[in-house]
Amino acid sequence: MRFFFILVFSFLFTSCVQKEPIHNTQSYVFGTLVDITIYGEAEEKSQAVSNEIIRMFQDLHNRLHAWQPSEITTLNQAFARGKTPVAIQPDVATMIADATALFRQSKGAFNPAIGGLISEWGFHKDEFKPIQVDDHKIQNLVQANPQITDIVIENGKAFSNNPAVALDFGGYAKGYALDKALAYLREQGVKNALINIGGNIIALGQHGDNPWRIGIQHPRKPNAIATLDLPSGWAIGTSGDYQRYFELDGKRYCHIIDPATGYPVQNIEAVTVLIPPQNNAGTLSDVASKPIFIAKPNGRNEAAKAMNVENFLVIESEINIQVSPSMAKRLTWSDKDTAKHVAIIQP
Amino acid sequence: MNAIKSQIKPLLGDWLVLIASLIIVIFLFQSLWVREPASKLKIRLADKVIGTYDLNQTRELHIHGPKGEAIISIQQGKVRFKQSPCANQYCVHQGWLSRAGQVAICLPNQISLQLMGAKSPYDSLNY
Repeated sequence: MRFFFILVFSFLFTSCVQKEPIHNTQSYVFGTLVDITIYGEAEEKSQAVSNEIIRMFQDLHNRLHAWQPSEITTLNQAFARGKTPVAIQPDVATMIADATALFRQSKGAFNPAIGGLISEWGFHKDEFKPIQVDDHKIQNLVQANPQITDIVIENGKAFSNNPAVALDFGGYAKGYALDKALAYLREQGVKNALINIGGNIIALGQHGDNPWRIGIQHPRKPNAIATLDLPSGWAIGTSGDYQRYFELDGKRYCHIIDPATGYPVQNIEAVTVLIPPQNNAGTLSDVASKPIFIAKPNGRNEAAKAMNVENFLVIESEINIQVSPSMAKRLTWSDKDTAKHVAIIQP
Repeated sequence: MNAIKSQIKPLLGDWLVLIASLIIVIFLFQSLWVREPASKLKIRLADKVIGTYDLNQTRELHIHGPKGEAIISIQQGKVRFKQSPCANQYCVHQGWLSRAGQVAICLPNQISLQLMGAKSPYDSLNY
C-alpha cells in the first residue's frame, strides 16, 4: 500500500513540474509592442529582470524620442540654431559616433539625420494620416543635404555644421535597446531568453531542448510567410512597408524614406536580415535592412555586402521573393505556393 | 468460512490490474486536464492579460483601451478586430486569424490578440 501512495504522489508531483518554466512579459514602448520571454529561471527572477528591461527601454525611449521633448529634440533645436555647442550625454555621443560609422558603411542610405524629411511626410506622430506633401519642400530638404557626419562632438558638447540636421533614431534605437537588454540578461546570469521589440528580435540560449523559433510576418497576410531557428546571440530584423504607412490615391507611402530622393521607397514589401552574434548584433538587425530596402533592385546585393550581411530575404511581392543562398538554407516556407515564387540571389 | 476468506484475498494479478488501471487513470487525468485544448485566444491590454478565451464559440468582446472601445469578434475557430477607435485601422484590416501563432496588434489602443495552440509553429514573430 505504501508503494501505491508513492506512485500516486510521484505522478501528482510530476504534473506540477511539467509546466514549462517560461515567463512572458509584454509592454508598449518605442511606440510598439515589446515582448520578453525568459526560459528556465525562477518566476520572481524572470519578473524582476523583465521589469528592469522594460524600465531601461522606457528610459531610452523617453531620452531618444524624435518628436516629444527629449535629449534628441534638444540637440535638434540647437543644431537648427547654427553652430552653438550644447551638452550631450556620453552614451548619446557614442550612439552618434556608431551611427556615423554605419552611415558611411551604407554609403549614406542609413542616415539618421533626416528627421526633417520624416516629419514632413507626417511620420512624427503616433497616428498618422494620409497627407499630400509639398514636393518643393521635399526637394529643399534633400538639397539641404543633412548628414549625420555634419555633427561635431567635442568635450562633451555637440553642434552641427549643417542646420538642416535633425536626428531621428527610429531606425537605430530599437536595435540598440536589444543589445543593451542582452548585455543585462547575461549580467544577471539569465541563460535563455528571447526579446522582441516591434519585430526586431534577439535570442539568448534556447527554448528547452530546441533553438528559439521565429516566424517572419507575411507582408500582406496575417500569418507567417516562413519560420527559422534563431540561435543564441543571433538577431533578426525586418524593414517593411506594412507596419507604418499610409495610402493616398491607391498608392502606398511607407515610413522608409530614401535620403537621396526624399520620397518613401516603393515597389518593395519587406527586407529581413539575420545577424550572427557580435557586440552590436541587435543594432545591426535594425540598421542593416534599410540600405537593402532602399537600394535599387540590382543594387541590393552590393548594399548587403557593404553591411556585411550574408543572410537576407527580399520580398518584392507575393510572387517575387529573393533569398541569399545561406538564408535559403535556414528558412522553412509556410506553404508550397510561396516556395514556388522564391529565387536564390546569385552572389 | 475459510473458503470464503481465501476467495476475497486478492492475488498478485489483482494488484497488478489495480496498479495498472490507476496508472492509466492518472495518466489520462494529466494529459486531458493539464494540457490546453488546441484553439484558444489570448487577449492582452497593455501589459496585462485580460483573458484566455475558447475560439470555438460565437461571441463579441468589448474592450476599453487608451483610445476607446474595441470590438473583438470570435466566430467558431476564428477571431478578428471588428471595430477599433484607432486612426489607421491596421488591426481591423488584418482580418480573421485562425492559426496557432497568429497575432493581431492594435498599437494605438494597446490591445493584442494571440492565437494559442497545442503546438505553436514559432516562439516569436519578426515583422
